[in-house]
Amino acid sequence: MSKLKEALKKGEFVVTSEVGPPKGVDIEHLLKDAEMLKDSVVAVNVTDNQSAVVRVGSMAICHLLKQRGIEPVFQLVTRDRNRIALQSDLLSAWVLGIENVLCITGDHPSLGDHQEAKPVYDFDSVNLVKAVSILNDGKDFAGNELEGKPAFFHGAVVTPEYEPMDLQILKMKKKIDAGAQFFQTQAVYDVKSFENFMNKVSGFNVPVLAGIVVLKSAGMAKYMNENVAGVFVPDDIIKEMADTPKEDRKKKAVEIAARIIEDIKPMCQGIHIMPLGWDDTVSQIKEAAGL
Amino acid sequence: MHATIQKPIEEILGALKPDEKVFVVGCGNCAEKCHSGGPKETAEMAERLKKRGVNVVGFASTESGKSLCKLSLTRKVLMEEHIDEVEQADSFLVLSCGQGIHTVIDATDGGFVHPGCDTIFGGETYGDNIIKEYCSLCGECIIDKTGGLCPVTLCPKGLLNGPCGGSKDGKCEVNKDQDCAWQLIYDRLKKFNRLSDLEGYKEPKNYAKWSRPRWLELDVENKKSTFNSLAGSHTVVRD
Repeated sequence: MSKLKEALKKGEFVVTSEVGPPKGVDIEHLLKDAEMLKDSVVAVNVTDNQSAVVRVGSMAICHLLKQRGIEPVFQLVTRDRNRIALQSDLLSAWVLGIENVLCITGDHPSLGDHQEAKPVYDFDSVNLVKAVSILNDGKDFAGNELEGKPAFFHGAVVTPEYEPMDLQILKMKKKIDAGAQFFQTQAVYDVKSFENFMNKVSGFNVPVLAGIVVLKSAGMAKYMNENVAGVFVPDDIIKEMADTPKEDRKKKAVEIAARIIEDIKPMCQGIHIMPLGWDDTVSQIKEAAGL
Repeated sequence: MHATIQKPIEEILGALKPDEKVFVVGCGNCAEKCHSGGPKETAEMAERLKKRGVNVVGFASTESGKSLCKLSLTRKVLMEEHIDEVEQADSFLVLSCGQGIHTVIDATDGGFVHPGCDTIFGGETYGDNIIKEYCSLCGECIIDKTGGLCPVTLCPKGLLNGPCGGSKDGKCEVNKDQDCAWQLIYDRLKKFNRLSDLEGYKEPKNYAKWSRPRWLELDVENKKSTFNSLAGSHTVVRD
């Protein structure tokens, strides 16, 4: 059984993290980062051509992680594949031993490095969650029987910092109705606002892993506030970071992340730490947050 | 209407062989509204080409308000009214949408055509100077549940079950000046107190209905219309 599923089932406060495959075939650095995360987290997400930029595929890296005893979460976007390719990749992932899938729509090609690419979006993320549920039931999306069925632990994403919130919650509910078994969220910095969101969705009884993006600088916070959808870093955190000398920023980043985690821990079932290259901070954040 | 934009003159010239005898054809309906190939632009194109040394043997357009994509009309214009010039022509430079271009092939019994325009979308003539796209001609209209706004067209990802995580402050992730389709849908349904229309799982589209090419058969006497696509023949009787 999926270790992620098992941990959530047992009611552990789960920590996951993620790695982003490189553009090009030099993967030593990524594997080193993943090894660094290995003992700190239950599972490691592998992003799927993140930001619509061509990279090594998520499935290949998930397979390599699995070989190294690291539990992968196969991120799968609907941007690049139609329903035939999505289902085929899911079946392929399963035969390679990949048990966790995160179903995502994916950034539009116009945001990436192949802006003339045809956006596929045959499915949206809700359709993809449904397709995984159907495969788990032993059929394909068209209703044909499978010879041997997978047992994916499949999840989806949600953005707590979203206006109008009821539209976001409506989509979350659709994902749950389609079979989503867990959620990972966009970055959380504003504890109050996350609490407000969780109060609205706690009745859904599906585990939510809150996204923790390691904040590297005040500039990064300002950039995200202006440009990244669903992310809001409150002024006091920006100021705290701005007042920190450069050499102490990593320490401060750990401190801020740990503080947010301590605050939100009672509200959710785990956290998903996105270290953005500062992979060594993950174990420090865990320790500082008392996990 | 089919929105069109004229190709740059260099591209048009580049497609013509030296000494090719060209007849310029325009459309009095959509292309006129887009100022890409109405009677005026057609006459102008003939002059522009002549000035650049092209052997233009004649030009014609369907009259204002009339579509080039109606075969019987186009045949009359080209094969009756302008038959003397048409007979001299090696090719037709067509200032219309792709449908009109093919109509010229049919009207001239297989004549050789050059596209003078790029056909860009089916749109609403929102004002004299602006044409906007609201429909993708998908063959399976779902806007009854989205307040009359098409997410297939207005959302760059064509999402049917709600917004992606990329919209910010009601704007689309692909362009900060563009409204998020789902914000517009939400606002409209809220205004009509119909937000419950958004509930419930929406199946992905049946792309077999969006297969190409498709055709429509009309049995006027029996009030029957039949839409043919890879999804099969779909007949509706207006009883």
